[in-house]
Amino acid sequence: MSRIRALLTAVCVLLSGIAIAPLASFAQGIPQNIPRKELLILENPEGTIKNAGWFNMWAINAGSQSNGLQQSALDTLWYIDPDKGIDGVWENSLAADKPQYNADFTEMTVKLRKGIFWSDGVEFSSADVAATVNIQIKNPGMRFSAVLAGNVASVETPNESTVIFKLKAPNSRFHANFTVRWGAIWILPAHIFEKVADPLKFDFNKPVSLGAYVLHSYDPDGKWYIWQLRDDWKRTSLAKFGTPGPKYLAYVDPGPPDKRVIAQMNHELDVIHDIAPEGMFTLARQSKTTKSWFRGFPFGHPDPTLPAVIFNTQNEQLKNRDVRWALALLIDIKAVANASYRGAATISAIAVPPTGGHPETYHQPMEEWLKTFEVDTGKRKIKPYDPTIGKQIADMLRPSMGEQIPTDPKEISRAFGMGWWKTDPQSAQELLEKAGYVKRNNAWFAADGKPLSVRLMVEGDLRPVMTRAGTMIVQLWRQAGIDAKIDVAQGTLLTRRAAGDFDAFIGWSVETWGGHQDLSYFLDSWHSKFVAAPGQPQPLRNWQRWTNPDLDKIIEATRKVAFDDPKGVELGRDYVKLMAQEMPIIPLMAYNVFTAMDETYWKGYPTADDPYTDPVPNWGNSRYMFVKLKPAN
Amino acid sequence: MSGYPVYFAKRLAQFALVVFIGVNLAYFITHATPIDPVEQSIAAVTNFSGTAPDAIAQMRSSLRELYGLTGTPRQQYLSFWSRIVRADFGPSLSAFPTPVSTLVFRALPWTVGLLVTSTIATWILGNLLGGLAGYYQKNRALKAMGVIAMTLHPIPYYIVAFVLLIIFGFVWPVLPISGGSAMNLPQGWNWAFISSVLRHSILPAMSLILIGLGSWFLGMRSLVSNIVTEDHVRYAELAGVSSRRILVSYVMRNALAPQVTGLAMSLGGIFNGAIITERVFGYPGVGTLLIDAVYAGDYGLVLGVTTISILGVSLGVLIIDLIYPLIDPRVQAR
Repeated sequence: MSRIRALLTAVCVLLSGIAIAPLASFAQGIPQNIPRKELLILENPEGTIKNAGWFNMWAINAGSQSNGLQQSALDTLWYIDPDKGIDGVWENSLAADKPQYNADFTEMTVKLRKGIFWSDGVEFSSADVAATVNIQIKNPGMRFSAVLAGNVASVETPNESTVIFKLKAPNSRFHANFTVRWGAIWILPAHIFEKVADPLKFDFNKPVSLGAYVLHSYDPDGKWYIWQLRDDWKRTSLAKFGTPGPKYLAYVDPGPPDKRVIAQMNHELDVIHDIAPEGMFTLARQSKTTKSWFRGFPFGHPDPTLPAVIFNTQNEQLKNRDVRWALALLIDIKAVANASYRGAATISAIAVPPTGGHPETYHQPMEEWLKTFEVDTGKRKIKPYDPTIGKQIADMLRPSMGEQIPTDPKEISRAFGMGWWKTDPQSAQELLEKAGYVKRNNAWFAADGKPLSVRLMVEGDLRPVMTRAGTMIVQLWRQAGIDAKIDVAQGTLLTRRAAGDFDAFIGWSVETWGGHQDLSYFLDSWHSKFVAAPGQPQPLRNWQRWTNPDLDKIIEATRKVAFDDPKGVELGRDYVKLMAQEMPIIPLMAYNVFTAMDETYWKGYPTADDPYTDPVPNWGNSRYMFVKLKPAN
Repeated sequence: MSGYPVYFAKRLAQFALVVFIGVNLAYFITHATPIDPVEQSIAAVTNFSGTAPDAIAQMRSSLRELYGLTGTPRQQYLSFWSRIVRADFGPSLSAFPTPVSTLVFRALPWTVGLLVTSTIATWILGNLLGGLAGYYQKNRALKAMGVIAMTLHPIPYYIVAFVLLIIFGFVWPVLPISGGSAMNLPQGWNWAFISSVLRHSILPAMSLILIGLGSWFLGMRSLVSNIVTEDHVRYAELAGVSSRRILVSYVMRNALAPQVTGLAMSLGGIFNGAIITERVFGYPGVGTLLIDAVYAGDYGLVLGVTTISILGVSLGVLIIDLIYPLIDPRVQAR
């Protein structure tokens, strides 16, 4: 028995030893041999990168782009910030000026900035822009080859700082391809790629940088990437904004949401890309150094996208506008905001996200129109808009969240949105009856006896906030007698979305620039000529497969006006009115991203009070952060 | 011909058949998945850009060709087998054009290192303590251990993992909570890197051991409890054979045979990677690779991992089958 006791004691000692052994080096999750005060640690939301050693962004699927590559090492002609920008939303980056189009938009001339150098000492020139276009056109498998081949007849370089794009057809928005919103067509180094036999199989490792940082080191297993400030960073386009604060940037995969929270509490992750609302609430409560977009509730940064109930309008039952409107009037947006974001949602009644400059351009000016907007239920005309819903959400949260909930009406609108559609079961019933449905035993049936059923597809664990919203909406529809079901797609969502294999789904088909009022970024692809036949893959982004002659007219008119022309806003408002009348998607809210920023080592993050850029660190625009951040001590 | 050579040949044929059926099943199941890798790729590269619809259509056809998804299903199936026999799983679709084998063999050492070590450690500890608990049934420390094993055994793995994360990663932050080694530490055969790898493996290994220990402990205790009541043990006791000799030579040896089979199966299954372990601890292994490949519809990579896994498990069983007649006289090679 003594031997057994000795054995058990040995096991206990061994296990304790294992646990205590690393005490000597308690630092964890921080790059070795780099001073913490010179290092900014950001989350790479792409996670662990399979193909870690690939930096050729021009090859499809080759590697990561949010690992700092597009944020710190690549550059292109222009940027539009989703928020206010450092010096306005528009930035001439590698271009010296805005794009110059000829009268019929078949030619775009670009004047390039001088004095910009690649990290290997070669000067950036028009040859790089021409190579970016020509190499991709010659190699059809490359990432932007299709869009360039479809648009560009030829590219001319009369001198080192001028590029002329001859287009195959008039396109007043061609520059959008070279304008960073989240990413864009990045310029590749001609002097490297022109020597490569097959650009599709070229890893571009080690990457030559056009941005202010160069690759310092990376994990062959794809967990982390470290970038170092170039000695000659003044020869990059970022230099005009000032001196970058962090000398090193580490883009890391910190793991699941709970670990991101732990890592930030331990001050080992300065910027969390996104966490669940509960994680954000925990950090706000427990971490004195964590900062978020809003000073208090609802914390998250509203991305310029619009989560919505997207109907498959090729579905027989959902072709009818009255049915779509009835389904909208059965939704209680306060319940949806509570279920999805625990109330931390910025709602939108119109089909434009309430973010960036859009509240000023669309939401506020259209408020009066929305108040007088009417829907004919077949029995009467109703005014479905309730301008007080944003305030109602704030009031609903105030008892539990106290002082974190703003009281200033402007602040409430900015944080929670303005109005939304009233929950109106009586009008919904009248609309369904108008559409030919009959209610029997609290269930709706069509004239042929088929129940009115809607499968609402959600992504599942991969996007829990939207899944919760969908679940609540299905519950509300079921209470009203609709045969509604949740359809969890998980990893199949992208395939099924393209194939139109859904009745409705929670997602977005509206993505805007945010900082610029032009809607053609997503709207152009909604033209009826792009709508696929049922069962065929639908090109981006008209997932609702909606066609409407009035919409086509708006799109065609938009193509003929210049990007900054005020007429574009008028057309945008016409689009908003049409969407409200037809309701092919039910707009819900902005996609709030709970980006948490730790101020232990760095100060100067973008916030709603100083909205110089989107804080979400996988956007190309997040490079603005690097020049605004300064050491905390 | 009779005896062991025939037994050997039969088991080998059985092995080949199992592998053939397994790989075919993996092929057809992955190809029946509703995920289209081309759509996944298109969504990945266009999700945040305003690519025109006609450009998307062109990209779709280019990718289909590039990924080798053209041709009839029969041509694709034959091409798959012709590559498999050359141990070529083709390029990964979600990390194109890197070969699947490169990705798998980069991830495999992490998984094998962590799981082989923790599986063997769990097996030795569990069987040793379970054997003692089954033999010395009145020992209070061993009884307590049995209660602990019974308590830990049904707890879902991820709960234990998260509890460990919170204790050693946050409350008492002494252990790394993510990754296989420290950041910015070059990989190589030097103590700095090796000690970093060991330190990063402690929490995942501890979670695997805590949960795995219970099942080996309880299994062995129950086997030993039965064997000690058998006639040959009673006879040895009556004959005055020492307690230690009875435990080692009469009880443990007999009880170990099924546990060895279990160990071989567990070791074979290691090629799957411990998906939850790797997910929770952000460990760079095959499990992470597999789950990402499933979400991306990357048939090639899923097939690469599952084929290696099928080979691993089947090979483990084959080796045990071939060794059994040599070590256990109760199994005849007929």
